Amino acid sequence: METKDKVLMINPEKCTGCRLCELVCAVKHDGFSNPARSRIRVMKWEMDGVYIPMACQQCQDAPCMGVCPANAISRNDELNIIEVDYDKCIGCRSCVAVCPFGAMGFNSIDRKVFKCDLCDGDPQCVRFCEVQAIEYVDADDVAVLKKQTAAAKLHATSGKVALKTA
Amino acid sequence: MAIDDKKLSGAESLRKTRTYGKFRCHNPTCMGRLEPKPGDKHVKCPICKCEFRVAWIRPDFPRIRGPVWEVNKKIAEEAFKKKMEGK
Amino acid sequence: MALDRKIAYINLTTGDVEVKPIPLDVRKKYIGGRGLDAYLLLNHSKKGCDPLGPANPLIVSGGILTATCASATARTHIMAKSPLTGLLGSANMGGFFAPEMAWAGFHHLVIKGKAKTPVYLFIKNGTIEIRDAQDIWGKTTTDTQWAIQEELNDQEVKSLVIGPAGENLVVFANVMTGIKNAGGRTGMGAVMGSKNLKAIACRGTMDIKIAHPVEALEYNKRFIDQITSAKVNKTQGTLGTPMIWGATNSWGGVRTRNFQYNQCEYADDIEPENIDEICEETMGPYHMAGCFGCQVHCRAQYRIPSGPLKGTYDEGPEYTSQGAFGGEPDTPRAETVLVGNHLVDQYGMDNLEVGSLISWAMELYEKGIITSKDTDGLDLRFGNDEALLEMVERICYRKGKVADTLAMGGIPASKIFGKNSFDYLIQVKGMSNLHSDERATPALALNVATSSRGSDHLRSRPAIDLYHLPEKVLHKIYGNPVAYKGKLSSEHTEYIGKAWQVFWQENCYMGVDCLGICKYHTTFLGATLPNFEDWPKVLYYNTGLEFTPKELWDISERCNMLERLFNIREGLTRDDLEKGDMLNHRYFDEPCLRGAPDVVGMMINKKKFVKMIDEFYEHKGLDKNGNPKPETLKRLEIQNEPSHML
Repeated sequence: METKDKVLMINPEKCTGCRLCELVCAVKHDGFSNPARSRIRVMKWEMDGVYIPMACQQCQDAPCMGVCPANAISRNDELNIIEVDYDKCIGCRSCVAVCPFGAMGFNSIDRKVFKCDLCDGDPQCVRFCEVQAIEYVDADDVAVLKKQTAAAKLHATSGKVALKTA
Repeated sequence: MAIDDKKLSGAESLRKTRTYGKFRCHNPTCMGRLEPKPGDKHVKCPICKCEFRVAWIRPDFPRIRGPVWEVNKKIAEEAFKKKMEGK
Repeated sequence: MALDRKIAYINLTTGDVEVKPIPLDVRKKYIGGRGLDAYLLLNHSKKGCDPLGPANPLIVSGGILTATCASATARTHIMAKSPLTGLLGSANMGGFFAPEMAWAGFHHLVIKGKAKTPVYLFIKNGTIEIRDAQDIWGKTTTDTQWAIQEELNDQEVKSLVIGPAGENLVVFANVMTGIKNAGGRTGMGAVMGSKNLKAIACRGTMDIKIAHPVEALEYNKRFIDQITSAKVNKTQGTLGTPMIWGATNSWGGVRTRNFQYNQCEYADDIEPENIDEICEETMGPYHMAGCFGCQVHCRAQYRIPSGPLKGTYDEGPEYTSQGAFGGEPDTPRAETVLVGNHLVDQYGMDNLEVGSLISWAMELYEKGIITSKDTDGLDLRFGNDEALLEMVERICYRKGKVADTLAMGGIPASKIFGKNSFDYLIQVKGMSNLHSDERATPALALNVATSSRGSDHLRSRPAIDLYHLPEKVLHKIYGNPVAYKGKLSSEHTEYIGKAWQVFWQENCYMGVDCLGICKYHTTFLGATLPNFEDWPKVLYYNTGLEFTPKELWDISERCNMLERLFNIREGLTRDDLEKGDMLNHRYFDEPCLRGAPDVVGMMINKKKFVKMIDEFYEHKGLDKNGNPKPETLKRLEIQNEPSHML
């Protein structure tokens, strides 16, 4: 079977801070509007106009997976996601404590941990983000795309004509 | 629920009339169709002779940035004089 | 469910809080947001109550769709009797406050009484706490918000606040949230200040169940696409509302030097493209921000590029600030506009009212009606940037005779300035007109004259009238959901059919204000944006409530009539220059001197204008004097108001 090696690529510069990603994430997964249920959250420094979306990085060596005492967290290579098996999960929240990105949440209404599952390959945050602050790209391409943007910046600062970037 | 999801609403159906790349003269009853060439910085209305500076939202999406003051002021002053004489 | 969001009655005198559900039959009649606010105001205020007294209820709300899976349900609505006009007070703002209030469990707050000392409300997941605000009293709008976040140790708290202007009871003080989202008009900040209420802080993590989540998500995609694909919204997303300035000043629709001219010549420095360049230089290529759930992202971020406040962060400036601090006082310099915008944001004052009143004072100064003795030596001439900015501060802190007088509002100030100062005051019902000049556009003039909250461009403006759409297209828009058999004219200079367009827009804007979505998402600046036909879907998928387009139209008409009933109760009469549906004489007497060749020489024909008002009244079901006919009230099922259901 073909494996999907795609990841979320977040470009905080482009984020307008509207939090539509939070809304559609919660509605898609739980059928509720409630940012506390969203797998993606936009962190804001309003006084400086800085908005940074934060989501699970689906780490290779995921701390949440390592810390889980019930072996409830595993890697799904087909979708390139770290997933929680709720039949095994004991709700100890060790994974919430250990995640370096705060990407593992705990929902105090259902009393369950939750995290990004990339919407099984069709991430709604990406679908709804018109400014493309979140994109769903091949893991290999992330660095290339970032190189392109950085190179274009270098080119611009050298006083030459601005280039078109992705 | 009698919601016909397939049907386009009146507002949605008007979308097909949208045109990029063109705009209308700012002289309100003239409204001449102006179509600047990509990258043009100026455009002159062939009907009322008003001249405008052009800005580009996207390479295919121009808008009027503002009047060419000297030209349009003169046209306006003449039009005003004529109208006042007619009264 | 959005439908299980509650209403809270808060008495600041006694500290009592009462929470009630909103019955479904009330929802079906008034929906929510501004419509339900109008019902609450009519029911909870007594005739002739003092706008700055404890009996004036302050109502804060979100719409029925607030925080649901519909585009840009970010709007907060604030209503009370206005200290500026003595009539309906109503303000609407974007940002993130109303959604947070909805997640905290509430759609409507009715705040009465007056706290002994400064307080703020903290609303969290169904509970309401009245907290001491003595330490934050005196702070600017943003400092107040950050101080509350710090005190509550929670960066996610969203607050609706007043600045020093509201505390000082400047009658056009606004309420603010975030950096620049303002509930600007009719002095709602002064009402808060009069209650010793510095802020309302919300934090919520309560679920709002979406009735049909799969369909709601899919329809939202289509809804958003309809909204963002409009050319006008693409431009908004790049330049923000300043884009309106570019076009309007280009053809000559911007009042300059108060009302002496209709175009600010050589205003290239404050053209949207130039402001955009400043934003780009100071904030980088991606400098547009959005309100909750909105993909239009029309809010520009900037830092002041030069001068003593260089480097200070703010957002905007909107079209209104360009007029208030650029066109009207004839100071078309970007730094002045950006600083003026920043000052009103920080002080919490309506930029429109501030700019208009200062420009009026400048004309009075020019005409010798007020002198440098009155201004304490300030040279209040047109084009004086420093005097303009100094006046902004003086008004907020009520320093000196002229500024303190202006802070009382235009009409009371005209009585103090005396002579013929009133003749130069560009206002309707005591509220200043936007800097747009409507002498070339009778439909827009009718909107300004008849707007329910005093002179205003966001209550019934048929802005697309300027696009010269073919009559067939006009009928497609304005003939739905209620057929219109009369003629509609593509000519913006005409008087034919315009009364219907204004009536239609009045209902359309009430509709969005009840839903709680933004006006850039309906038939305002673009002809292809959603309205009555599109709303039933988004309502059904999100709330499960079923409405036909015609039913939504009827609800809008009903809520507009409630606002009219309130105004009539508080003294609205048809032709009164202070409290009526009438424009300043200059609209009828002074021709446009600048602008496009078709605009110069234009003014409003009073006879035709009065006939338009007659027609407008007929569409609304009012008699010749502007009072509702008994059969109209019966048809709208409000013959027994106030009915005290809530």
